[in-house]
Amino acid sequence: MSMVVANGLTHRFGPELALDSVDLVLDTGEHMAVLGDNGAGKTTLLRVLATALRPTSGRLEIAGLDAFRERRRLRHYIGYVAHNPGLYPALSAAENLEFFCDLQDASRSRVAEVLETLGLTSVAHRRGNLLSRGMQQRLAIARAILHEPRLLIFDEPDASLDAEAAEVLGLVMKGRTAVIATHDHALANRLCPRTLVLRHGRSLGTATHLRVVR
Amino acid sequence: MNPFRAAIAVARKDLVSEWRTREMVPALAQFVVLALLIGNFGFQIDSRNAPSIAPGILWLALVFAGLIAFGRTFAAEREQSSLEAMLMTPASPVAIFAGKAIAASVLLILCEVVLLPALSLFFGTPFSGDLVIAVLLATIGMASLGCLFAAIVARVRARELLLPLLTLPLWIPFIVAGGQAVQSAMGLPGSYDQAIGLLIDFDILFVVLTSLAARFVLDE
Repeated sequence: MSMVVANGLTHRFGPELALDSVDLVLDTGEHMAVLGDNGAGKTTLLRVLATALRPTSGRLEIAGLDAFRERRRLRHYIGYVAHNPGLYPALSAAENLEFFCDLQDASRSRVAEVLETLGLTSVAHRRGNLLSRGMQQRLAIARAILHEPRLLIFDEPDASLDAEAAEVLGLVMKGRTAVIATHDHALANRLCPRTLVLRHGRSLGTATHLRVVR
Repeated sequence: MNPFRAAIAVARKDLVSEWRTREMVPALAQFVVLALLIGNFGFQIDSRNAPSIAPGILWLALVFAGLIAFGRTFAAEREQSSLEAMLMTPASPVAIFAGKAIAASVLLILCEVVLLPALSLFFGTPFSGDLVIAVLLATIGMASLGCLFAAIVARVRARELLLPLLTLPLWIPFIVAGGQAVQSAMGLPGSYDQAIGLLIDFDILFVVLTSLAARFVLDE
């Protein structure tokens, strides 16, 4: 069964065409990397898939539901990590997650479990502004999996993560459908059997295991 | 998804953040005391004219403190890039808006805890329950409007300029009715009950309207 079915996704920011008629089908449990230069449209595509941005035109179904009519319902199914962690600096790591448990209608008992999965137990009571950028990124990933989503969407999750973090990403993606935008081709090949390449908002097609030629 | 749980969580989060950082309340409290001090030195205050002048100074201080308090509600979220994370949850935008408005109102009420006794101290006007009720009722409506416009302008670079331009005209009903209620509470002629009735009507009207509008303002 397909988790994501997108047809002709197009998005314009004023006169700028950010996404040009992208078609995509992603099966349940499949992992796909989105590659492309800066400004290729990766973030726009991910924000559309995460239902954070309504496309100018095109159709998107997630888990068989119309992504924009059923947007609020789909938020239970989607875990999204934006390029910026977007944490509350005055709250501790655990408090940041507890707050999102309340908004996600998830049990607060998930917090300890998720902190352990992401290797953040030792900094659970450290304030957000005292965490390193890499730890903040891990915390943002922890926040995205609190409600046990079926679809994970990560926008350059590896930007501030160390080598060990790739293992963590693999762990959280296990059993879930995932889309990752990254510049790291090696990471893309390691975590995702399938790759979509974007250029100037257009899809150059998908491939299984990208061969990078420089 | 329980909207009350979400609204309370948002309000608690904002208040805990303020308690730990103490960014807003001490500065606002200093600001209102300075405004009263300037008003006290700027006018020739005596026991006859104090009830006429004090309400004007009170509303000026409250309006400018409110603009700062409400302006920060969404600006801080945008700066931290945390608003999108909050809006990506199943929580209703109306619940998120309500939580932000509750927290901003509490912060303004904390300033009023300083402002109202200081007003009596500087101007020698009576401090009464009627005065407190009038100011609190005005705070509710002003908070709902202030937070709505703060959400609208948060993504704009010139938000500090735009927020007063959009908000002040719509705060005029609260300043007029609140001013009348405060003057009556200070012993000047005028119907206190009528002014309070108007404040309650404006509160209901603007809380409902801003809640309906919040959905469209926040939901993209």
